[in-house]
Amino acid sequence: MTRRLLCVFTRALALVALTCTLTRAADDGLAGMRARGTLRWGGDIQGGEPYAFQDPHDSSRLLGFEVEIADALARRLGVRAEFVQNDWSTLIPSLERGDFDVVMNGLEVTAARRQRVAFSRPYYAFSETLVVRRDETSLHSLDDLHGRRAGTLAGSFGFDLLRATAGVEVVLYEGVEEPYIDLEQRRLDAVVLDNIIADRYGLVRPTLQAGGTVGEGTYAIAVRPRDRALLLAVDAALAGMIRDGELRTILTRWSLWNERQEQLTASLPPTSEHTPAATPSPAQGLLFLRAAGFTVLISTLAMGLAVAGGLLLSVARRYGGTVLRIAATTYIEIFRGTPVLLQLYVLYYGLAPLLTLSAFTAAVVGLGMNYAAYEAELYRAGLQAVPIGQTEAALSLGMSRSLALRRIVLPQALRIALPGIANDFIALLKDSSLVSVITVVELTKQMTITAVDVRSWVWPGLLCAGLYLALSYPLSRLARRLERRLLPVPV
Amino acid sequence: MNAEPIIDARGVRTHFGGVEVLRGVDLAVGRGEVLAIVGASGSGKTTLLRAFNYLTPFTHGEVHIAGHRLKPGMSERADAGLLRRVRTRVGMVFQHFHLFPHLTALRNVTEAPQRVLGLASAHAQARAHALLERVGLAAHVHAYPQTLSGGQQQRVAIARALAMEPDVLLLDEPTSALDPRLVGEVLAVIADLAAGGQTMVIVTHEIAFARRVAHRVVVFDAGLIVECGTPAEVLERPRMAATRSLLAMD
Repeated sequence: MTRRLLCVFTRALALVALTCTLTRAADDGLAGMRARGTLRWGGDIQGGEPYAFQDPHDSSRLLGFEVEIADALARRLGVRAEFVQNDWSTLIPSLERGDFDVVMNGLEVTAARRQRVAFSRPYYAFSETLVVRRDETSLHSLDDLHGRRAGTLAGSFGFDLLRATAGVEVVLYEGVEEPYIDLEQRRLDAVVLDNIIADRYGLVRPTLQAGGTVGEGTYAIAVRPRDRALLLAVDAALAGMIRDGELRTILTRWSLWNERQEQLTASLPPTSEHTPAATPSPAQGLLFLRAAGFTVLISTLAMGLAVAGGLLLSVARRYGGTVLRIAATTYIEIFRGTPVLLQLYVLYYGLAPLLTLSAFTAAVVGLGMNYAAYEAELYRAGLQAVPIGQTEAALSLGMSRSLALRRIVLPQALRIALPGIANDFIALLKDSSLVSVITVVELTKQMTITAVDVRSWVWPGLLCAGLYLALSYPLSRLARRLERRLLPVPV
Repeated sequence: MNAEPIIDARGVRTHFGGVEVLRGVDLAVGRGEVLAIVGASGSGKTTLLRAFNYLTPFTHGEVHIAGHRLKPGMSERADAGLLRRVRTRVGMVFQHFHLFPHLTALRNVTEAPQRVLGLASAHAQARAHALLERVGLAAHVHAYPQTLSGGQQQRVAIARALAMEPDVLLLDEPTSALDPRLVGEVLAVIADLAAGGQTMVIVTHEIAFARRVAHRVVVFDAGLIVECGTPAEVLERPRMAATRSLLAMD
């Protein structure tokens, strides 16, 4: 059996390796693009207006200044532009994998990225805007942020700037609205993002204002370093767009043309930018341990909440009156029937105007409330599995119904449910990675951050997987031990 | 025997679905009395016994028991206090024991005296040790039910019921689920209780045992008491066909 499995596994591995080789062989930059007749460009429509986003009136159409630049480039290269959706934080690994030919999505030119990809000449010059609340008068530069909480996008230029500043607590986001919501809710003291984002998502909020400009840089198109021919062709096409004014037309249409762009297009060679270097350090191992600790802390607290909530729900559902029963059933169906990711978003961002929870609290409460629904069903099955004779025997001894439940029925029901509870705890441990969407840096998030820093997914990925295993394996051992101890006789 | 009966059932009727299981039963049990109820399977014996502590509700009539009055239409929720007071005074032993599997024999016996009567732990344990010794299980006080034989489990169940010092003990076919080899040890314990003056109502198929231990025997048939008297009257000179066929099977 084991040998057969091993054999299947080896074959699957060989197939994967072969596929990779084939992909690489076929992937000959410019020639490949010409043969296909399409310029595949990667981006993330979650980045929103004005970069590349879905037409609100026709979801099959994309709008944005980068969409127009891509169309113009493709036309000049004699092909058609084809957009490929990809999470913004993993655009570069996907480019390396060959999912698309180029990346163009507000990708800032940084020294760290230059070590992985080749950049075209810039097509846009941005400034980095520090946004603060209107009642905040003391924050104007990065150094003013000492001891404060500042938000930015994961893997962005703003992140590099903040990381190079001493004493700032950096909070990372995946979307462009959320940091400004948190700034309004006082969960942050400042947000550092490109001026395009700040202008459209931050400064439109009446309670926010610009504190200052803390850096500048450029957006450029990223190409795999070995695709020299493609890079030259893209550069030539971009230069053509600058010379005949098409770039200016596009940027003007999107209200993005300003003095910075004048200078950028006047000086053709790409400018050198302020780029703090990525520093891979041995301290990163410690960061992983810290993140693992956070994963354990969040999972444990959430599980405690889930067990308590599950108990109440299952008892209400089985023994409660009509109102309680309907309420418990509704709760269970809603929390089990909708994604936990959605629940976390609603709890943290959706309810923010009514209820300002810290990210940590929201993570624990969100996961706990979700898992309570699953626990409730588990305990209900356990309660049903306890023979009615147990309740009758307890009642016949003069016990009240609640005493019989607490002392006789529940302990037996929980024992029956115990393997399921251990399973759920292990599942929760891994599901806790979802709370990174509400800015909590736990194990998986730490892995993606480090992977971008050290330009490799291999060792951070392995370390992350190893830590998860190190957490979950003892747990399943413990569950088995408990099961044995709680059941006096192995059945 | 005291003049005031500990149980006085009058006109008790009940039905499951469309089937009348009890069709008007009158029965009084005196203090110190040992009453055996015999009858064919499905004749309603167990239902009557469970009506005495209202584990099975009845639809007509009334039951006076241990100074309280049970009547049709009571509910576990609304009449919790009254039912608890009755059950604290009325012990029950089940055909299938229903020991609490997550507790040792000792904890099975101490749980209710501690939690219901509020006995101090030491007091409850002393009482439990004495009772377990009385039923011959002094060596098994710390055993879990699954490690005990059926006969041993039923003796723990008897000790558990006795620990509440009930006015009356209801035993529902206490030996029917046992291996024949183990019946004797349980019957011996019950006979010992009878000799000690414990008021008991025993539903049983053990005719010989009833003859030996009971003060009075009641014969049940199709939801009615068809014959009632001393063992000598009922079992030696049966008047009814139902009784005769029961004795013929024995």
